[in-house]
Amino acid sequence: MANAEATKSLSGLLNGISQVVYHNNTEITEELLKNELYPELSQEEFKALHDKMKGLLKSIATADMDHAQLEAFLTAQTRKQGGGGVSAEQAAALSRFWKSQRVRVRESLLSQSRWEPSLRGLSWRVDLQTASSHGDADHSGPVALMELELGRAGQDSEFVCLEFDETKVNQVLKKMADIQESIDRIVHRT
Amino acid sequence: MIRFLLLTFRSSGKSNVSGDELVAKLEKSSNNWAKASLQVLHRVWSEQGALVHAQQEAQAMLSVGQLVDLQWKLGMSVSSDTCRSLNSPYVSLLLKVVEPSGQISQKCLEMTVPQFQNFHKQFKEVAAVMETV
Repeated sequence: MANAEATKSLSGLLNGISQVVYHNNTEITEELLKNELYPELSQEEFKALHDKMKGLLKSIATADMDHAQLEAFLTAQTRKQGGGGVSAEQAAALSRFWKSQRVRVRESLLSQSRWEPSLRGLSWRVDLQTASSHGDADHSGPVALMELELGRAGQDSEFVCLEFDETKVNQVLKKMADIQESIDRIVHRT
Repeated sequence: MIRFLLLTFRSSGKSNVSGDELVAKLEKSSNNWAKASLQVLHRVWSEQGALVHAQQEAQAMLSVGQLVDLQWKLGMSVSSDTCRSLNSPYVSLLLKVVEPSGQISQKCLEMTVPQFQNFHKQFKEVAAVMETV
């Protein structure tokens, strides 16, 4: 019984720490976590536990540990003497947490390291230009209108509206094919 | 005089300055402003400034540009201060866009490989539709 409770509290703590560090959740504070999960601990005891878990989580995330690395790391931690080590239950909780959260934490780290705007959305439509005030035949034909939504994390989007004729679309497609070719070459090598 | 006012209002709208900021800027640029004139400008801008700014933003959204150039780069994020082991390829695009006004602007964007492939796919769809039209 006591073990299940302890496990639940620890999972909750790890989730809370992850929310703050990796998902920019400003509503969660150390105090909140202590009151919700470890009301029986003293301030110092909780702080020690919190900081230890946070440190371990950061080590695991920054190295993006795979299964083997994680097991080795946690085993070493359980073998540590004195107050710096972790118990078997704690190691198990960390292992469970990382297995389920690794992808999400990694995504968050990746987006944190992206400083240029990303493409948040794209909408397009194709018009058929039937007549032009210039009256020249060159400008008849399909015209694509594209709206790109660009934005950085936490900032408002910028909308860029572009128009393309068929020639232009094909030019862009050619470049995109070049990019894809480069990607394939890298993937092949790794 | 009118041209000066138009230019001032237009650039103030673009930078979304407040009435106080506008007056401070004008005072700094010249000693010849009469107090009364500045007060009028302040009041007018405080009342109308937000509207001008909103209209300019709407106009910017409605203007359709043309892509003049597309440069690309394929990179690999190796490591960052928050994650030593990123190992993530990314595609970086630099778009050179010319507005109907003639102004040229550069837009830079970054995407992951799956995001790029999705972008590529949508472009192919556009091309396919254009062919049938």
